[in-house]
Amino acid sequence: MKKPTPVKSTNMDNVCEEKVFSSLFETNSKTVFNYIYYKFGNEEKAYDAVQEAFVKLWENCTKVTPDKAKSYVYTVANNLYLNVLKAEKVRMKYADTSNDRTNESPEFILEEQEFKEKLDKALNSLPENQRTTFLLNRIDGKKYAEIAEMEGVSVKAIEKRMHLALKSLREHIDGI
Amino acid sequence: MQENYLAKWLNNELSGKELEDFKKSAEYTSYQKIAEVSKTMEAPEFNIERALTNFKTNNLDKEVKVVQLNPMRKLMRIAAAIAVIAVGSYIYLSSLNESIATQYAENTQVILPDNSEVALNADSKISYNEKKWDEKRSVSLEGEAFFKVAKGERFTVATEDGLVAVLGTQFNVENRKGYFEVSCYEGLVSVTYKGKETKVPAGSSFMAINGKITNTEVQKNAQPSWINKESSFKSTPLHYVLAEFERQHNIRVETRNIDKNKLFTGTFSNTDAKLALESISVPSQIKFKLEGNKVLFYAEDAK
Repeated sequence: MKKPTPVKSTNMDNVCEEKVFSSLFETNSKTVFNYIYYKFGNEEKAYDAVQEAFVKLWENCTKVTPDKAKSYVYTVANNLYLNVLKAEKVRMKYADTSNDRTNESPEFILEEQEFKEKLDKALNSLPENQRTTFLLNRIDGKKYAEIAEMEGVSVKAIEKRMHLALKSLREHIDGI
Repeated sequence: MQENYLAKWLNNELSGKELEDFKKSAEYTSYQKIAEVSKTMEAPEFNIERALTNFKTNNLDKEVKVVQLNPMRKLMRIAAAIAVIAVGSYIYLSSLNESIATQYAENTQVILPDNSEVALNADSKISYNEKKWDEKRSVSLEGEAFFKVAKGERFTVATEDGLVAVLGTQFNVENRKGYFEVSCYEGLVSVTYKGKETKVPAGSSFMAINGKITNTEVQKNAQPSWINKESSFKSTPLHYVLAEFERQHNIRVETRNIDKNKLFTGTFSNTDAKLALESISVPSQIKFKLEGNKVLFYAEDAK
C-alpha cells in the first residue's frame, strides 16, 4: 500500500529553495562556463551565459525539477548565442608541469612548447561541436554520455565527434 | 578497426587485439601525445563563489523601485485613484479567509502558515485567516481532516458540532451530519462538545453520534486509516459507513430493505471500489449491485 508522503515545508527537491539552487549553481556553473567558452572562445560571453542561464532557471524554478535543472541550464546557455556569436580563438592554458620535469633537456622543453602551440592551433581549426566535445572530455573529464545529454544528441554521435576531433588534431599537428 | 575507434581508445574500450594493432600503427605516438597533453589543458579561470555572489546580488535581493515625480497631474490623479482602489481591495481581500476544499474521491495536503500540516479527506473543507494567523491559530473545518500541529500557542479547530483545542500534537477530526469524532494520536486534545469539555489523551477517541457520546481507543503514534487509503469503523451505524463510501469512491448509494442503523465494525479500501463493497456487504450480510456510478444495497432475503 502506498503511504502518502507528507508535504514538507523545507522541500529539498524544489529548485526555488535557495539552498538547492545554490548547490546547483556551485556544481554546474563552471561546466556551463567552460562549455560556452569551448564553443565560442569568448570569456566574457561565457560568464554572461552562466548568469543568464541561472536567471532563467530561477525564474522557472517551479517548473524545473532538480534532476532536469542541469540539462536545462546547458540548453538555455547554448540557445543564448546560437547563430549570434561567431567563434573566436579558443585559447587554452596548460597546467604547469615544469616542476616535476626539471631534468628535461632544453630541447625537450622547447619541443613540448611547440607541440602545445600546434595543439592550440589545431583546436581552433576544429568545428565548434568537435572542439566542445573534445575539451569537455579532456579538461572537464565529462563522460561521453554526459556530453551527449548536454548537447542533446546520442552517445554514438559524441563518439563520432570525438573520433573525428582526434583524427583531425593528429593530421593538423603532424602536418598532413 | 571498429567505428570511432579513436573515441573508444580514449575511453579504454578497445579490445586487447585492437589495442595491440592500434599501438603498432604509425600514428599511435601522435595520438598518445595529444591525449596526454590535452589532459593538462585548463579553461580560463572561473570563480564559482564570486559568480554566485554576483548572481545573488543581481537577482535575489529585493528590488528597490525608484518612482520619479511625474509632472502630468492628470495621470497622477488617475494613478492615485487606482492606488486607493487597489489598497482598499487588498485590505478587503486579506481580511477574507483562506479556504481549501476537496471533492468526492479526493484528498489533499495543506500547510498552514506555522508549518502545521493538515491532510484533508474527501468532501471536506478548511478555512483560516492567514493575516491573523500569528494572533490566533484557528481553523474551521467541515468534514474530516488529520492535523499535525507545530509546537506553539493554542491551536483550535472549530466545527459545527464541537470545538477542538490543542497545543501541538497529531489528531484527526471528523464532523459529518450528526457525527462528530476526534481521535488523538499524540499529545493531548481538549474537545468541547455541547458546552462540555472533555480531555482526549493520545490513544483514545471521542465519538458523538446524534448526541450520544462514546469513547473508544485508537493506536498511539499511528495515523487515521484514511491516510493509508482505507476507511475504518468501530460500531458505527451503517448509514455513516455508506456515506463515507459515497465520499471516497464518488459512487451514489441506494438502499432497499436494509437496517441502516445496524452497527458496522470494519475497514474498506478507498482505492478499490469493488473490494470496498465486499468489505461492507459481507459482514453486514447484505447484497449489492454495482451499475456504473450507482450501487444498490439490498437485504439478502429480499428480491
